[in-house]
Amino acid sequence: MAIFRRQLLAMAALFPLLAAGPARAEPTTLTYWVAWDPLQAEAKAAQAAIAEFETANPDIKVKTQVIAYDALHDKLVTALAGGDAPDIAWGLSEWFGEFNKMGVLADLSAHAKAWPDLGALYPNVVRNLTIDGKLRALPNYLGLRALLYHADMLKAAGIEAPPKTWDELVQTSAAIQAKTGKPGFGIVGKGARAPQEFITCLGQNGVEIAKRMPDGKYRNTWAEAPEELERATGVLALYGRLLSEKAIPPQSANWGWEDEDTNFALGQYAMVMNGSWMKGRIDQHPVTMRDVAVAPPPAGRTAATFFEIAPLYLFNGKHVDATWKLATFLLSRDVQAKVFPDRSPRSDVTGDPVWGKPFTDLVPVGIAFPPIVLGSIPRDMETALGRVLLKGEKPAAVAAWLAQAINKSLKRSGQLSE
Amino acid sequence: MTTMDMATGSIASRPQAGIGRAARRVLWPSARVRAACAFLAPVAVLVAALIAVPLAGVLWQSLHHASLIDAAVGGFAGLDNFRMVLDDEHFVPALTHTLVWTVLSVAGEYACGLATALALAQPFRGRALVRGLIILPWVIPIAIAGVNWAWLLNPDYGVLNAWLVRMGVLAAPFDWLGRSETALITVTLVNVWRSFPFYTISLLAALTSIPDDLYEAAALDGAGIVRRFFVITLPHLRPVSLTLIVIHIIWTAINFDFIWVMTQGGPLDATETLPILIYRYAMQEFDVGLACALATLSMAAMAMLFLVQALLVRAREAR
Repeated sequence: MAIFRRQLLAMAALFPLLAAGPARAEPTTLTYWVAWDPLQAEAKAAQAAIAEFETANPDIKVKTQVIAYDALHDKLVTALAGGDAPDIAWGLSEWFGEFNKMGVLADLSAHAKAWPDLGALYPNVVRNLTIDGKLRALPNYLGLRALLYHADMLKAAGIEAPPKTWDELVQTSAAIQAKTGKPGFGIVGKGARAPQEFITCLGQNGVEIAKRMPDGKYRNTWAEAPEELERATGVLALYGRLLSEKAIPPQSANWGWEDEDTNFALGQYAMVMNGSWMKGRIDQHPVTMRDVAVAPPPAGRTAATFFEIAPLYLFNGKHVDATWKLATFLLSRDVQAKVFPDRSPRSDVTGDPVWGKPFTDLVPVGIAFPPIVLGSIPRDMETALGRVLLKGEKPAAVAAWLAQAINKSLKRSGQLSE
Repeated sequence: MTTMDMATGSIASRPQAGIGRAARRVLWPSARVRAACAFLAPVAVLVAALIAVPLAGVLWQSLHHASLIDAAVGGFAGLDNFRMVLDDEHFVPALTHTLVWTVLSVAGEYACGLATALALAQPFRGRALVRGLIILPWVIPIAIAGVNWAWLLNPDYGVLNAWLVRMGVLAAPFDWLGRSETALITVTLVNVWRSFPFYTISLLAALTSIPDDLYEAAALDGAGIVRRFFVITLPHLRPVSLTLIVIHIIWTAINFDFIWVMTQGGPLDATETLPILIYRYAMQEFDVGLACALATLSMAAMAMLFLVQALLVRAREAR
């Protein structure tokens, strides 16, 4: 009996080892923070792609966490500051400078050199994600802005073609208002998109919010260069004109992106500078979105549009190689064609003739925020718009104030060139 | 015979008692105190971990340079952060907005709460149902209430604007939250709507505890309804009113979420209060030292208020 008991004990002790079979390393788990809408087709396609990646790479598991864009920035900043960052995350290009300053972005240059698909990305996309010769992020998707317009509303106002210049934009919008009773154009006055539209207009008028100086730091130079101040003033004057000539609804001075998108999708106004994600509104509003067409944005002195390069941020940590593997899988042609067919950063994925190509054709004229810690600059830009649109202040005075405010913010974050 | 001093927990023994017995008796309360300490210790640790340590951290950071995104920023700042906060062009407007928001909110909440409590103290059919329903605004989460009110007030598709235009009150929809002249007062009114039920139930509880005999006696003495209100009702409501007002001043002054959900401090900073400014310092300018300095100033102001309330209560009790 005693021998039997001893045998039983020995078997019990050996059982876990026997059951486990040959030793296998624990899979690496990557934490991936995303901001997709789980109900949208692109999210479903991305989830399917991740499952495919896990099957092909059994040593890597991907744990996705969905966080709305509104909350993502603060969560990322606090997680990064607390040393609890995900391995990879979606984000906006406006945060690029902050994360670079924090020193949390992995240097991807060496990996990129050995990546055969690097050449498939638009060159200026890669350039915008490179700081001091080091690739600091990969592109996730592009949010280029074009002029979206309700063709039927333009036709009802007797207008044959969408506007090509700022003057035409104001005149066309006023004509639409007069003929149809609906505003011709829509803008955003608050939230993240307001500075994006503002910087587009500044770019179209040949002026930047901050220039890189020889010392490697940045500075707003409007106060030192009268012609730049004049051009910035011209942009604010355009906003003032749009309001005073009734080209935009007065309440759009306080619109956020939801108001702009929803009112356009409902056919409440005729034209907007917007992205290809508006295609997703066709299913929700098939009747009012039926006549939407796409054209290049009206130009000021030059053609330009907002170059929203939504980055995939890869953070320093133990799993950079595995993270790179995941990121480049997500950027492969097949996955991009399924997930972001109309707004891929790859030049070999151009999308459909209405919601893809007209947008990606604008890549060469895309302008982005400089890679600085933006700090209070977006808020200052929003305030400048409000001072013109809500308070009716003189554009020249507001432009001069904005120049000072931008430099003040740069000084606070230690980036001002003096 | 032994007498116990309830305030100190010590026991005084009569001189004729034996020394050993007296010593044992002296030991008894200290054992009791030890037991009390043992029971209180977990709470003390919890309070220290969740309140005292973070609070000390805020005070410490307020005296140092600290950035959320730049580890190189550091060092003792002395009072520099406080000076920078006080010199900031946004500080005085934010302080003014905080005072307006707090005073109007608490006054409006108290007035609405008192009126509804008096109404609900009267016997009428369906009173129990109304008493239950009136609490609804208070139990709706702030974020949901804020988003819903923002939709109701929206100039493009808001129901309230549509009604006001249909009734002829407005010629055209008005952007209540989008105009700097009306945004703060609009947010304040929504806050009053949300918070007054708490006053209602608290004051109603106090009202029901007032003996009916007092009203009957006063009525027999010829006191009218207004006089009875001022002579009997209000004095009985004073203790609960004082507590309600003080805690709501604190809750309202430090409220962040309602304003953030509805206006994010805009338009043109018209609804920017001190908590919003603290958030901006920390999460938009990443200056933790500045944020902590302003938080410390706010905390000191709230502590002063609490102290004044405690002194008032003590003075009243002394009378």
